[in-house]
Amino acid sequence: MNINRIATIAGLLIIALWPLVVHDVFYQRVGALVLLAAISASAWNLIGGYGGQVSVGHVVYFGAGAYASLIVFTRWGWPPLAGAPIGVAVSLALAALVGTPTFRLRGHYFSMATIAAAELVRILASNWDVTGAAVGLMGPPVPRSVWDFSFTSPVPYHYLFLAVLLLLLWLTWLMQRSKMGFYLAAIRGGDRAARSLGVPVLRYKLYALLLSASFTSLAGTLYAVMVGFVDPESGLGILLSVKMVIIAALGGAGTLFGPLVGAVILVPLEEATNAMFGGGGTGITFIVYGAIILFVARFQPGGMAVIWRALTSRRKNRAA
Amino acid sequence: MLLEATAVVMEFGSFRAVNGASLTVTEGDIVGLIGPNGAGKSTFFNCVAGDLTPTSGTIRFKGHDVTRATPEQHARLGMARSFQVPVTFEDMSVAENVMVGAFLRHGHRNAARRVADEILAFCGLDTLANARAGSLGTPGRKRLEIARALATEPQLLLLDEALAGLTPAEVRLAIDLVRKIQQRGITIVIVEHIMEVILSLTEHAVVFHQGKVIAEGPPRQVVDDPGVIAAYLGGSMKRVRTQIS
Amino acid sequence: MILLQVVVSGLLMGAVYALFSSGLTLIWGMMNVVNFAHGDFVMLAMYAAFYAFTLWHLGPIFFVPGAAALLFVLGVVVYLGLVRHVARGPMLAQILGTFGLALVLRYSAFWAFSANFVSLPENLVGGTIDISGIRIEASKLLGGAVALVITLGMHLVLTRTMLGSRVLAVAEDRNAAMLMGIRPDRMQALAWGVGAATTGIAGALIALFFYISPTVGESLSLIAFVVVCLGGFGSVPGALVAGLAIGVIQALSAYLIGAVYQDVLVYSLFLAVLWVRPQGLLGKL
Repeated sequence: MNINRIATIAGLLIIALWPLVVHDVFYQRVGALVLLAAISASAWNLIGGYGGQVSVGHVVYFGAGAYASLIVFTRWGWPPLAGAPIGVAVSLALAALVGTPTFRLRGHYFSMATIAAAELVRILASNWDVTGAAVGLMGPPVPRSVWDFSFTSPVPYHYLFLAVLLLLLWLTWLMQRSKMGFYLAAIRGGDRAARSLGVPVLRYKLYALLLSASFTSLAGTLYAVMVGFVDPESGLGILLSVKMVIIAALGGAGTLFGPLVGAVILVPLEEATNAMFGGGGTGITFIVYGAIILFVARFQPGGMAVIWRALTSRRKNRAA
Repeated sequence: MLLEATAVVMEFGSFRAVNGASLTVTEGDIVGLIGPNGAGKSTFFNCVAGDLTPTSGTIRFKGHDVTRATPEQHARLGMARSFQVPVTFEDMSVAENVMVGAFLRHGHRNAARRVADEILAFCGLDTLANARAGSLGTPGRKRLEIARALATEPQLLLLDEALAGLTPAEVRLAIDLVRKIQQRGITIVIVEHIMEVILSLTEHAVVFHQGKVIAEGPPRQVVDDPGVIAAYLGGSMKRVRTQIS
Repeated sequence: MILLQVVVSGLLMGAVYALFSSGLTLIWGMMNVVNFAHGDFVMLAMYAAFYAFTLWHLGPIFFVPGAAALLFVLGVVVYLGLVRHVARGPMLAQILGTFGLALVLRYSAFWAFSANFVSLPENLVGGTIDISGIRIEASKLLGGAVALVITLGMHLVLTRTMLGSRVLAVAEDRNAAMLMGIRPDRMQALAWGVGAATTGIAGALIALFFYISPTVGESLSLIAFVVVCLGGFGSVPGALVAGLAIGVIQALSAYLIGAVYQDVLVYSLFLAVLWVRPQGLLGKL
């Protein structure tokens, strides 16, 4: 058995057993938040990592999922989880609408267009009463039935998030090995060469974006279900987009487990600084986030994945 | 007629890079496009490959009008190409690079891998199959580009200076490879600077000058054409001819 | 009459936009690297102006050049320490590098200066001037005029001097410039210094009439992107025209449909232009 497989199984086991092993609610909650961040970063990874299209506006899809679940609750009294398909549908529509023209832009222009689109949506949501304007929306204050999926313990959330994350990672794994994975890697390597080999570049970028947007939206719904509240800052703030990119890049963009590894490192760090510095911690957190990503970009753009590969291959060489 | 380009004009602003060039290629041929730097042969080549849409003129491939077709449509129809400066997918292995080409006709991973393995062996790259493409030198990259193009199972292969920058020994190996490709039944159009390559490899040479075709025919005849010699201003052409005699 | 008043104040704001955007377009056109921290550079300059006045009672005559010098140094340091290394790397590294820098600057400012809005005293430079019925605050007039002069000056330096042609040569073809005996690294460091210095001047000028907060750079970055995209990447005259246009559009939309929507219009315009003409409205391919 090779070291990668051992590490994967050990890591997944720890994640699966985490809430049963630790009893402190704080740590259980951190575990669930790690998984939630891993879902949205892994979803971003499909288009940003595998497809090489650095979107900094993914919060739009996150927000669509989060707002959809609380809108169906406030308007029609549905359980928030029922908003998931609506959030996904809206995200798919947005992705197709925004993605098609935007994909013709290269590199930085693409990133900036995604930022502008996301800021546009945030401003509109801050001024629209359906989305609760600047105040935001609340979920059910008291759970009406189990379908509201509202619990005081983080443990049920942990397993719900884990199930979604495993589904996403499984789909990513299938994609990575299939024609689509190869085509995305080719697109990342260079549009012109990819097209000369018959790769329909725009179509595959769009496929990756659609898959990415639907899971990002799902992450938004899960967030709203757990927290029971969303406002323009927590549901559509640009920093959420940035966080997805940073988590994926730290772990290794374009790798299967990179975003999960990034989340395991950054989310506890964020929770720890928040706990240590209270409300003022947000500032410190982002200084740390910024510094980490600055160093990753400067010294090791491949992230932890490259470091891990270097470490394990050195061991192999020594054994040989 | 496999390929028929008629009166192709390509303008960039007010500059006419290609000024009414025509070319026909019969199945099974190796056709060489030659001409001094800036003669418009690469631009013409990119029009044929679908990377550029000509300002006017028509290009037909296998009877289809492909003048306005995208590069990916060209690939699907059976036209593959290499690039002047090789663009390999650096992060992928050599075998994976070739699989990207093979996926055009084979949807499943295992089938694509089988095709890739066969092509790698054919191109003499099988020992490098698992190396990262980024670790290859220029000759390896050029060879890999050809392998990747072959994996799309083309009928027409366009080579854009596939031999430039190689040492004489590497050029000989590459010439052998191109001959082997022709023996597979693949028609080849090659843009080349090195006269030796054109003379030893092609049956039909087309000379470009100032965006126009100024001579065509068997390479040895073309080399003696006074117009061609004038276009090259003596330079390299004389050297080639003294080498031959 | 009121409309004219709105247009004039939009033009004055637009001149300041043009100034710091011309710094971004210089860097961008030269290296094809975007500085996502550009707006945060402006923010730093605003705080520099604020503290120069509150701590040492230095007026604009001192703090405007001071902020320019400070930001020049910052620009060179950022180029040498970060940008030089990520510029040749993958796209993700380029974006993350300056984005990381933006986060560090923005939230260090939070931590150092607190999240509270501050501002310089309103009548630091004169009061309000009345020109045949149109009332203009002197601070805005000063800001707009200085910004206009410096932007035009930068254009002249780029197109009319030896140094400028060296910078442009590196932008055109790095290798060819190197063969001509120009050191691209020095020219690029200089471009980063100058690009940042424009944010220094612009920030100090804006501080005269605008609120100052750690996050003000976020929206200013976006405005700089919009201006650069509209004006054409690498074009200083383009940035000037686009900056003035954005200033007027913002002022008019704030007046006609409400202040919250002024950015909606600007961002929509930006997206529309990117989609229809990715090379910019006035730019070349």
